[in-house]
Amino acid sequence: MREGLIALLPRLRRLARALAGQVADADDLVQVVLERALARAEQWRPDAALDKWVFAIARNAWRDELRARHRSQALFAPEEAGDAVADSNSAPSVQKLALANALAALPPDHREVVALVLVEGMSYSEAAHVLEVPVGTVTSRLARARTALQAHLGTEA
Amino acid sequence: MNPIDDDILQAYVDGELDAATAAQIHAALAHDATLAERVRRARDLRTQLRGMFDPVLEEPVPEHLSALLRPAPSKATDPVVSRAAPASKDTSGNARRHAARRRWVPGTALAASVVLAALSAWWWRPGEVLTRTQHGQTYAAGTLAHTLDQALASEPDARAPIAIGLSFRGADGHVCRTFVVRTPPSRAGLACHGDSGWALAVLGPTTPSEGGELRQAASALTPEVQAAVDARLSGSVFDAAQERAARSAGWR
Repeated sequence: MREGLIALLPRLRRLARALAGQVADADDLVQVVLERALARAEQWRPDAALDKWVFAIARNAWRDELRARHRSQALFAPEEAGDAVADSNSAPSVQKLALANALAALPPDHREVVALVLVEGMSYSEAAHVLEVPVGTVTSRLARARTALQAHLGTEA
Repeated sequence: MNPIDDDILQAYVDGELDAATAAQIHAALAHDATLAERVRRARDLRTQLRGMFDPVLEEPVPEHLSALLRPAPSKATDPVVSRAAPASKDTSGNARRHAARRRWVPGTALAASVVLAALSAWWWRPGEVLTRTQHGQTYAAGTLAHTLDQALASEPDARAPIAIGLSFRGADGHVCRTFVVRTPPSRAGLACHGDSGWALAVLGPTTPSEGGELRQAASALTPEVQAAVDARLSGSVFDAAQERAARSAGWR
């Protein structure tokens, strides 16, 4: 499984970035996920897809983190959302910042669907499996998230 | 009244419809500008999200994360032994973790290369022929042909000897994919699918990147490959759903 996790690391980091936004938050999340995955290695059955198992851990770990933040009132600061732009070598465009801010403004359950389907490229049924919700819930959340994100992006480009 | 609701349109954009329904939507797009605009905006959002997060795939993994998955250093030279080694628990304190996550540790790339080299050694069959020639045209063979047939850029495998970069449908209707052969001598190329397999449009050596040839990014196109892509590209490159759909359709 360790090998599988090594191969999965780039995708796990991408998913974490899509969920958490900030680079540092995302890599902290990845660390928590790897620790949990290693600690629960015996719960993973080799006939199950490792990526979906790990992504479900990631989603639950991020939910835990959001709950902890809510308790401590340390709320996410939207003006820092520029960090979410992965390519730090080029100045983030206005549009990327708008998208990062729009993502940050999504409810967590909508953002999860965006991360799994639009960023990770999972099918609706795969995302439904990871999130443990019906496929219809995935499609309705995705449709509402799309509407919200596209509204932020405007009609150009 | 609009006969095509948002859910159907979304499913169309995400490649979730059966072929018959997708074909109906596709036909409707030709004479419904409003519908076409909705599809364009939905695709555009997807493309922008991928553009925002896909570069993460090519970033070096921070040392403190890959270290969690690495066995004890004394055994690191033997991948067979090390894979069986017990889990090394993360013992770093909060302060160290904070320091480590703020800057990329320079050794990460090198360490990752060593791990990759060790892992790919048993995966890769040295000296394997990657091309064949038929009627004067060079085609992909062996692992290269298999990778072009099966691999998805949206699901990269850091251990695979060949990485896929962009996939797109060329102006002549053929699906083309760029790739990088990571194992030395590393090469980059463009292959386009036809009746006789993956015809190689370009295949040439890559310039070794800073992190060494093994870390050659799949997206790092050589000027020759870039020129070949530019010459063929008519629309936009595939997103994850389109790539998956193209694979299901046998790249036709």
